[in-house]
Amino acid sequence: MSTDVGRETLTRPIQAPSKRYVGALLAALAGIGVWLFFYYQQLSNGLIVTNLADWGSGGGVPWGLYIGAFIWWVGIAHGGIILSAAVRLLGMDTYQPVARMAELLTIAALTCAGLYIMIHVGRPDRLVTSVVPAWPTRVQWSPLMWDVTVITAYFVLTATYLLLTIRYDIHRLRDRLPDTFEPLYKALMLGYSEKEDQVVERMVWWLAFAIIIMAPLLLHGGVIPWLFALLPSMAGWAGGVQGPSFLSIALTSAVSGIIIIAAAFRYVYDWEELIPDQVFYGLSKWLGFFALLFLWLQLQQVMTGIFAAPTTLQHATEVKLSTPVYWVAIGLVGLGLLYIFASALKASLFSIPRIVAVSFLVLVGTLIEKTLFVVEGLQHAHFALYDGVPGHYIPSPVELSSILGAVGIVVLFFLVVSKVIPVVELHAIQDHHDDAEATEVSD
Amino acid sequence: MPDEDKTDQTTSFSEDETRRMERVLDDTEYDTELGVEMAKDAQRVAAGELGEAEFYRQYHEDILEEFGEDDRELNGLLDDVGNVDAGDGEGVGDKLQALADEKDLSRREVMKKGGAAVAALSIFASAGENRAASAEGEGGDEYDGTRWGMTINLNNCDGCLACMVACDQEHKLSGGANWMYVFTYEDDHQDDENFLVRPCQHCTDSPCTKVCPVGARHTREQDGLVLTDYEICIGCRYCEVSCPYGVNYFQWGEPDHPQSEIPESQSQDERGRWVGARPPEGVMGKCTFCVDRQDGKMGDDKIGTTACEEACAMDAIHFGDLNDPESAPNTHLEQYKDEQENDMTFQNRKEHTVSTFQLMEERGTDPNVRYVGNEPSQDAEQVEGPVSYEDVGLVDDRKEEVLDNGAMANQEGGEEA
Ligand code: SF4
Ligand code: SF4
Repeated sequence: MSTDVGRETLTRPIQAPSKRYVGALLAALAGIGVWLFFYYQQLSNGLIVTNLADWGSGGGVPWGLYIGAFIWWVGIAHGGIILSAAVRLLGMDTYQPVARMAELLTIAALTCAGLYIMIHVGRPDRLVTSVVPAWPTRVQWSPLMWDVTVITAYFVLTATYLLLTIRYDIHRLRDRLPDTFEPLYKALMLGYSEKEDQVVERMVWWLAFAIIIMAPLLLHGGVIPWLFALLPSMAGWAGGVQGPSFLSIALTSAVSGIIIIAAAFRYVYDWEELIPDQVFYGLSKWLGFFALLFLWLQLQQVMTGIFAAPTTLQHATEVKLSTPVYWVAIGLVGLGLLYIFASALKASLFSIPRIVAVSFLVLVGTLIEKTLFVVEGLQHAHFALYDGVPGHYIPSPVELSSILGAVGIVVLFFLVVSKVIPVVELHAIQDHHDDAEATEVSD
Repeated sequence: MPDEDKTDQTTSFSEDETRRMERVLDDTEYDTELGVEMAKDAQRVAAGELGEAEFYRQYHEDILEEFGEDDRELNGLLDDVGNVDAGDGEGVGDKLQALADEKDLSRREVMKKGGAAVAALSIFASAGENRAASAEGEGGDEYDGTRWGMTINLNNCDGCLACMVACDQEHKLSGGANWMYVFTYEDDHQDDENFLVRPCQHCTDSPCTKVCPVGARHTREQDGLVLTDYEICIGCRYCEVSCPYGVNYFQWGEPDHPQSEIPESQSQDERGRWVGARPPEGVMGKCTFCVDRQDGKMGDDKIGTTACEEACAMDAIHFGDLNDPESAPNTHLEQYKDEQENDMTFQNRKEHTVSTFQLMEERGTDPNVRYVGNEPSQDAEQVEGPVSYEDVGLVDDRKEEVLDNGAMANQEGGEEA
C-alpha cells in the first residue's frame, strides 16, 4: 500500500466524529451512568446493598463478583501486555496493527481492576491514607499488597511503553493530528529528536523482554493466584496449578478482548486493509490454543479434586461440578474452541462477526469462571461445621451494574484515546523505505 | 543517665524490637527511655558484648531507686553479680524474677510495680531463645510476656448460649455478628449432643495478620491479642477469607448501636489504638478477648477475665495468661490431664478419658484457645441446640435474617457511627 493512503487510513478515527462514534459514546456514558446510580447507593448505605455476607455462621461469602471481576480485568490486562510484548519481541509483524490496541486495553483494564478494588473495600476513603504508610512494612507479607504493587508496576511499564512508541508516531503524523490537542502533543514530544528512535526501539525491546520474563511470576502468573492459593482456610483454592490456570484464563480473555476491539475499529473505520482478515484468523488460532490450555487445566483440577482427594477438596470439587453455571462457563469456552477448530479445518467457516461472537461468549465464560472460583472457594472451608456453609450468593443489582460501568469505562477510554492518538502504530503500515527504520520489515 | 548513643556496639536493634520494648515499658509508670536503654544493654550482656558486672555498675542506682524498699536484697544481689557464672543458668534476670516470686507478685504486677528496671530485665530474660527454652524446662520462671488464652472445657458446656449473649451485649454487636459462637452438633463417633464453643482463636501464627494489606489486623506484642485497628482497616475482608475458623464479622451496614453508646475507654486500648467493642461501618470485627478488660479499662478486678467466661455458669471457659503456670486456663488443663491419662484419639474415646485439642491444629495456626473434650470430625453436622439462638435474642444466619433485607432496614438505623 502506498504510505500516504496508509497514513490517511491510520488517522481516520481522529477526524470529525461519526454518528456511530456518537452512538458508542452515548452507550458508554449510559453504562457508566447506570453504575454510578447504583454505586451511589453503596456509598450511602455501605456494602450491605450487595449480596455479600460473612462466611461461617453468617451464611454467605465475603468476596464475590467484585473480586471475580477484579481478577478478570487484571487477566485481560496481563494477557494484553504479554501479547503486545510478544509481537515486539518475536517480531510477529502480522499482529503489529493490534499491538497498540493491546497496550491500550491493558491500561484500560488495569484501571478497571483498580476501580474494582475501590468498590470492593468497605472504606475506599482510606485507600490512600492506610495503604501508603503501610506499604514498606506490609509489602513483604500481604499478597494483596503484592498485587497492588505489581499492578502499579505494570501500569507504569505499559504507560512508558506506550509513551515511547507514541512519540515516533506523533512526530511523523503531526500534520494530520488536530490542533486542539497541541499542548498535549507538545508535552508528549518533550525533548524529542529523530535520533532517539533507534534508542527507543532498543528500550522498547528490553521492556518487552522484561514483561515476558516477568509474565509467569507476576499478575496472573503469580501474585493474583497467590491471593488464594496460599491460604490455609479454603479447600478449593489451594494448589500449585492455580498460577498456570489463571495465566491461561488471562491470555484467553485478552485475545478475546483484542479481537472485539480490533473488529470494532475495523468495522467503524473501514479498516479492512489496515487490519486484514489474516490478523483475525491468526488471533482466533491463538484464542483456540489458550482456550485449550484453559480447559486442560480445568481438567487437571477436576481430576485431582475428585479421585480419592482429601475430603474437603473432594467436596469442593463435587459441588463445583454439580453447579450448572460452572458448566455454562466451561461450555462457552468449549463451544468457542470447537468453532475455532472447525474453522481451522474448513476456512470457509471463518468470519469476523462469528469470531467476535465467540470472543464475546468466551469473555462471559471466563468472567463466570473467575467469579465462581472466588465464591465456590469460599463456600467450602476446611472448617465445615457451620450450617450456613455453603451459603448462597447471587450478585445484587448494585454489583452487576459495576460490569456495565467498567465496560463503559473501557469503551469510553478507547473512544477518547482514538481521537487523540493513532490507535494503530505507524510501523504497521511502513515499508522498508519509509523513514529511518533500517530494521523494519513489514508484511 | 546512661542514655548515650550506643550505636557503636555490635548488637543492633530493629525498630520493631525497640517498639516492642517501648510498649512493654509504657505499661509501667517509669521512665521508658531509661528502660529501653537498659533492655538493650541487657541484651548486649546476653550476647556477651557487655559484662554483667559492668551492666550492674551502670544501672544499679536506677534499680535501687525503683525498687525502693527492696534495696537490702538488691544490694545483696549486686554483691552476687561478680560471682554469676554465665554457664550456671542463673542469670541476673532469674535473680530478679526470683526476688519477685519471693514477694509473691504476679508477673503482670512485676511489670507494673517493678518499673523500668524489672521490665527491662524481663525483656532481657526473654531475649535469647536458649534462655526462654531453659526457662520452660524449669517451669517457666522467666517472665516472657503475657499471652492471653483460654481453655474451654466442652464437656462442661450445656449449650445455654449465655456466653454469646454476654459477648453481644458487652461489645454492642450488630445482629448476627456472633463473635462468640456455640455450635451444637452431632458426629459419627460421638453420642448425643456435642458442643463447640468458638471465639476467635487468637492464633499465635495467625493467617489473618499476615494477609492484612495495611497492618490493621495485628498481634499486640505485649500479650498476643489479635486485634483490628478500626482506624486503619480498609475493609478488604482478606483477614476474613484467610481465617480457617470463620470468626470474622464485617460491618456491612450501619452498626445497630451507635458509637455514643460505647464509652471511649472501651474503644481505645492502652496503646491508644481503637480496637475495642464493635467496629464502625465498613470495617472488620471479631472477638478481642475483651481487650478493654485486659487493659484495666473496666476496673482492675476485670483484668484476666472475659465477658463470656463470666457469663458461663458451667465453668466451661477459663481465661488467663497462658505463660503463667498458675493461671486458670493452665491449671484447668493440667487438672484434667492429671486426672486421666490423656487420650488424643477421641474417636475411640472410652469412658472417663479426656482428650484435649487445638481446633484444626493441622492448619498450622497454633491457637491460644485449647479445648478439653472432643474435636468435631469432618462428618460432624450442626443441629438445633437445646437453646435456640432466637430464644436468647440472637441472630444466627446473618445473611438471611439481617443483610438480605438490609438496605431498607439500615436506612432506619441509628445515628452515624
Ligand atoms: S481465629 Fe482467625 S481471626 Fe482469630 S487469630 Fe486465628 S486466623 Fe485470626
Ligand atoms: S478487612 Fe481490615 S483488618 Fe481485615 S485484612 Fe482487610 S484491612 Fe486488614
